[in-house]
Amino acid sequence: MTTTPPGPRARLTGGVLLWYGVLGGAVAWAVHVLAAWGLDELACAAGSDRVLAMPLGRVVGLAVIVPALVTAGSLAVAALAWRRTARAQATGTQDRAYGRSRMLAVVGVWVNLLFLTIIVLGGVAVLVLPPCQL
Amino acid sequence: MVTTSTPPGVSRVDLARLTEHWAEPRSLRGWFSTVDHKRIGRRYLVTAGVFFVLAGLSALAMRTQLARPEAGLLSPEEYNQLFTMHGTAMIFLFATPMLFGFGNYLVPLMIGARDMAFPRLNAFGYWVFLFAGLFMWASLPFGAAPNSGWFAYAPLNSEQHNPGLHMDVYALGLLFLGISTTAASINFIVTALKLRAPGMSLNRVPLFVWAIVATAFMVIFALPALNLDNAMLFLDRRFDTHFFDPSAGGNVLLWQHLFWIFGHPDVYIIVMPGLGIVSAVLPAFTRRGVVGYPLIVLSIVAIAIISFGVWVHHMFATGLPQLSYSFFSAASTIITIPSGLQIFAWLATMLLGRLIIRVPLLFVVGFIVTFVLGGVTGTMFALTAFDQQVTDTYFVVAHFHYVLIGGAVFPMLAGIYYWLPKITGRMYHEGLGRWAFWLVFAGMHVTFFPMHLYGLFGMPRRVYTYASEPGWGGWNLVSTIGSYVLALGLLLVLVGVVHAVRRGRPAPPDPWRADTLEWATTSPPEPYNFPVLPRVHSLHPVWDERTAESTGEGATADRILSEGRNTLLTSELDARVERPVPMPESTLKPLVLAAALLVLFAALLVAWYPVAAVAAVVVAATIAVWLWPAGPSRTSGVATP
Ligand code: HEM
Ligand SMILES: [Cu+2]
Repeated sequence: MTTTPPGPRARLTGGVLLWYGVLGGAVAWAVHVLAAWGLDELACAAGSDRVLAMPLGRVVGLAVIVPALVTAGSLAVAALAWRRTARAQATGTQDRAYGRSRMLAVVGVWVNLLFLTIIVLGGVAVLVLPPCQL
Repeated sequence: MVTTSTPPGVSRVDLARLTEHWAEPRSLRGWFSTVDHKRIGRRYLVTAGVFFVLAGLSALAMRTQLARPEAGLLSPEEYNQLFTMHGTAMIFLFATPMLFGFGNYLVPLMIGARDMAFPRLNAFGYWVFLFAGLFMWASLPFGAAPNSGWFAYAPLNSEQHNPGLHMDVYALGLLFLGISTTAASINFIVTALKLRAPGMSLNRVPLFVWAIVATAFMVIFALPALNLDNAMLFLDRRFDTHFFDPSAGGNVLLWQHLFWIFGHPDVYIIVMPGLGIVSAVLPAFTRRGVVGYPLIVLSIVAIAIISFGVWVHHMFATGLPQLSYSFFSAASTIITIPSGLQIFAWLATMLLGRLIIRVPLLFVVGFIVTFVLGGVTGTMFALTAFDQQVTDTYFVVAHFHYVLIGGAVFPMLAGIYYWLPKITGRMYHEGLGRWAFWLVFAGMHVTFFPMHLYGLFGMPRRVYTYASEPGWGGWNLVSTIGSYVLALGLLLVLVGVVHAVRRGRPAPPDPWRADTLEWATTSPPEPYNFPVLPRVHSLHPVWDERTAESTGEGATADRILSEGRNTLLTSELDARVERPVPMPESTLKPLVLAAALLVLFAALLVAWYPVAAVAAVVVAATIAVWLWPAGPSRTSGVATP
C-alpha cells in the first residue's frame, strides 16, 4: 500500500469539509422544504400571516435564501475538491484516497447544482404567490 | 456441483479447511438453521416469486371480470379484496423482497466477501418475510383480506367504515413485514460499508451495490412513517384512539401525509435496485463498462434524497396553499433529471459498445422502452391541471404499471436470465428465453396501453364492473387478452428456469465474460464464496489482470483466512484492511424468534391478548438467549448479532 502523508493541498480529500461538499446541498434543501412548507402550512392553517412579528412571506423567503446560500457554498467546496484532486493526481500520487475523493467531488458538484436548481425554482413562487392563497 | 480447481496460490489443506468450516449441515435441521447468504437469497427469490404468482392470479381474476361490461364473476366485496391484495402483495411481498433476494445473493459476491455482515439477522429477516406473507395471504380464503386498496386511505380504513378483520390484517401484516425489511436494510448497509474486498474504494464499488445501499438507506428513513401510520391505525381500530377521526379532533390527512412520506420513496425503493441490475447486466453484453460511472452514482444519490421531498404530489387534490405546492412541484420536476441521466448513460453504453444480443439484453431493451413510456405519463401528472382530470382513472393504473413492470419486473427478468448460470450452475435455453421475452413484452403493452385510452375516456379505477353504455368494453377485452398473453410469457420464464435446472448445460464460472467479482468464482459458488478474498485494483476487477493475479499466484494467507469462519473487515471509504472477523455458525434461533413473532401478531389479530402476552415473553427470551455472549471468540466484530 502506498500511503503518502497528506500534504496541505490534500486536506480537502477527506474529512468533514469534503462531506459538506458532497451532501451540504442535500441537507440544506431538506431543511428548506420542511421549513418553508411547514411555516406556510401551519401559519395559514392558524389563520395568521405573521411569524414572530415578521410577515409570513418574508419568513418563507428567508427559508429559501439561507438554504440556497448554504448550497452555493457546498457547490464551491465540491468544485475546489475536484480541482485539487486533479492536481494531486497529475503529480502522480498513487494514493487510493484521491480517486475516491475525486469521484465524491464530481458527485458533489452535480448534486449541488441539482439542489440549487430545486431551491431556486421552488423559491420563485415566493415572489409571485401570496402565502395563503388556496 | 462443479469441480473446484485449486487456485495456484492456495494449498489443498487450506481448501479442505475452508470447506470444513463453511460446509452446510446436510440434515433437515441444517436446512432450517442455515445462515448462508446464497441460500437465503435463493429463498427470497423463490418465496417472492410464489407471492408474485398469487398476486398475478388475483390480477387475472380481476381482468377476467373486467373483460366485458356487467360481468358477474366476482362480487364487489371479492373484487375489493382481490385488488387490494394484488396491489399490497405486488408492492410489499413481491417487488421489494425479490430485489432484496438479488441483493442478498449478490452483494457479498460482488464485493468479495464471504457472507453478509449479520448472517443470523439475515436468516431472521427471511423467516419474518415468509411468515408475514403467509399471514396476509391466509386472510384471503376466509374473506377477511384487506379491502381498501394498497394505500388504504382514512377514513375508509376505520373501524366505523370498515368493520371486520380486513384492515387489522393490513396494519399488523405490514408492521410484521417491516421488521424484515428493516433488518435486511441494516444488513446491506453494514455489509457494503465494512466487508468490501481490500482495495474496493468507493469509486470501485459496482453500481448494483451502490443501488442496493441507497435503497437500504431509503428504507431506513421511509419505513418508520409507514409503521407509525399502521400502529396508529391499529390503535384507532382496536383501542378507540382517534388519530384519524376528525369528529374527535383527529386528522384524516395525517394518514395520507405519513403514507406518502413512505409511499413515494417506496416507488424508488422498488425501481432503484432494478436500475442497478440494468447497470450490472449491460457491461457483459456491450463488452465495456457503463458510461459515466460517477454520474450514475450521482443520480442514485440524488434520487434517493429528492424522492423524500415530493410526497405531496400525491396530494394535489387535497387543497393546500398554492405556495407550499411550489416546493413539491419543483422537486417532482427535477427528479426526472437524474433518472433521465441514467437512461442516457445506458443508451450511450449500448451505442459505444459491441452489442451481444442475448435474452438478458432483450429484457434490458424492453425495460428502457417501457420505463421511458411510464416516465412520460409521469411527467404529465406533474401538471396539476392534467392531474386533476385523470386522477383515479385507469390512466393512473396504466402509468404505474408501466413504471413498475418496466422498472422492476423487466430488470428482474433480465437479472434472472443473467445470474441463473451463477446461481444454479446451469445455462438456460436461449430459444425458450426469447419466446418468453416476446410474449411478456407484447402481453405487457397489449394489457396496459389501452388503459391509457379508457382512462382518458373516463373509466375510474377500483371498480368491479362498468355499464356497457360508455363503450369501454372493447378496449377492456383487449386488455384482458393481453393479460393472458403476459401470463403465458411469465409461465415460459418459469419453464425456462425449471428446464435449466434439470437439463441445462453446466455453466462455466464466467459464461458472459462479465466484469464484476461474482464471476470470479465457481458456478454455483462454494459455501465460502472465494477461496481467496480478492484484492481489487479497478472498477472492473474481472477484466483486470492484477485483481486476477491476487486470487491466483498472488494469494496470501491474510486473504485466505482458513483458520475458521472468517471474512475481512475493511475501512468504509477506501477499503483498507482492518482485521479478519469471525462469522457465526448455523443456528435455529432466527427461525424460533420469527415463529414467536408470528404467534404474537396472530394473537393480536384475533384479540387473544393472553396468548399475545405469552408470545411476547417468548420473543423477549429468545432475543436474550440470542444476544447472550457465547464466549470470547464470538464477542468481537460485526458478525455477532
Ligand atoms: C402481471 C400482470 C399484472 C396485471 C394483469 C395487473 C393488473 C391489475 C389490475 C386489473 C388492477 C386493478 C385496477 C383497479 O381495479 O383499479 C391492478 C392494480 C394494481 N397493480 Fe397490477 N397488474 C399486474 C402486475 C403488477 C405489478 C408487477 C405490480 C407492482 C410491482 C402491480 C401493482 C399494482 C398496484 C399497486 C395496483 C393498485 C391496487 C390499488 O388500487 O390499491 N401490478 N393491477
Ligand atoms: Cu410520487
